[in-house]
Amino acid sequence: MIADALVLARLNLLLELRRREVVLGMLQFVVSTLVIVHFALGGDRGGEPRAAAGMLWVAIVLVAVLALNRTFAADTEESALDAILLAPVDRAAIWLGKVLAILAFLLVTEVFVVPLFWLLFLADAEAAVWPILAAIALADIGLASVGVVVAALAQATRTREVLLPVLFLPLAIPLVIAAVTATLAAVDGDASTLRPLGFLALYGTFFAVLAWGVFDHLVSE
Amino acid sequence: MSTRPSAALPTLAAIVLVPLSVALIFWWVPDDADQGFSQRIFYFHVAVALTTYACFAYAAVCAALYLARRDPAWDLRSYVGIHVGTIFGTLVLVTGPIWAKISWGVWWNWSDRQLNVFLILFLFYCAYFMLRFSLEEGERRAAFSSVYVLLGVGLVPLSILAVRIAQTLIHPTVFTSEGTNMPGSFFITFLVALAGMLALAAAMISVELRGKRAALRVRELRRRLAGQDA
Repeated sequence: MIADALVLARLNLLLELRRREVVLGMLQFVVSTLVIVHFALGGDRGGEPRAAAGMLWVAIVLVAVLALNRTFAADTEESALDAILLAPVDRAAIWLGKVLAILAFLLVTEVFVVPLFWLLFLADAEAAVWPILAAIALADIGLASVGVVVAALAQATRTREVLLPVLFLPLAIPLVIAAVTATLAAVDGDASTLRPLGFLALYGTFFAVLAWGVFDHLVSE
Repeated sequence: MSTRPSAALPTLAAIVLVPLSVALIFWWVPDDADQGFSQRIFYFHVAVALTTYACFAYAAVCAALYLARRDPAWDLRSYVGIHVGTIFGTLVLVTGPIWAKISWGVWWNWSDRQLNVFLILFLFYCAYFMLRFSLEEGERRAAFSSVYVLLGVGLVPLSILAVRIAQTLIHPTVFTSEGTNMPGSFFITFLVALAGMLALAAAMISVELRGKRAALRVRELRRRLAGQDA
């Protein structure tokens, strides 16, 4: 089951990474988003570094939306999902494979973007590094677990690119609230990041279990 | 057909209880010592809000039952629950800011927990309609809609927790673990208002269900008339 999921995750990643413009486009997108939000908050009058926490999480959530929009693209364009469903693979393995692929995708993007973000917006602040990195890692798990379910719902509709963020963003609000709380605490040099980080872990676990349980109903045809 | 609960009972209850609660709110219950006359909107606002949650809970139970049994009737119930819940939710978002403007001086208070949790849930359930109506009718639409409703079961406690972690308490705590924190006449009025709203919601749900079932039946009969019953 885990092995199946890994194979499927690799398949998803290969399909995306083969098209270099997808990865490069993603990076370009995040950097542009950071710049847009920076100026939208009033440029250097925007109250950084606290406003930087907002920029970071707007960018991460939007990247997750983009990545999720791609996650079933190959499956629907070439009906690859039907072929996978014919194989003796656990349905939950399909979900896990997609989640791992999305996670890898988000991490690749973040490895480039977070240091850049740090240099641009947080270099002068005495922010604690580890809580922010932990928040990003935990939030990625939550975004991917719930996002893949939503992407599976949206891909069956006629308006999937529009519907995905409509379905996904309300679900992401609690996660963003906690992630920003953790980031702000870290930026302020406050030690009380444990509760929001604990919440992010809970969010990821909860939706992972729920998704695991219901995914069967989404790909059974 | 006769085994189905009739719409008459909740409708009758709503016809009696809703006007009764209006009468109690405006003529019987005394002014609040702190907020004065304007506090009376509390009986509408909170009763409608709790009814909204009740509708969403009903929809979630029906969605779970649909996924377990695959009977389209449960999907229809779940849909109608969300629909009526959204109507009541809109009322909450209208009455809430009116009360907030009068008692806090602002239309919306971003540092209030319950407003934020309600807003998140309302956005979530509004998206339900977008999903449902962009899918072809049939088993897949029923299953997908039900799965989406079940995601809301996770969203409720998580939103409450997230908002609690981020914010400070402002909402007046009327109900505590030691019981209610209001005088008897207030509590009776509130209970009547709540019962009235719940009855109204139940009546709306059963009437809408009847309408939907009748429409389905008419369509089936039309199909048969046209000789397409494969």
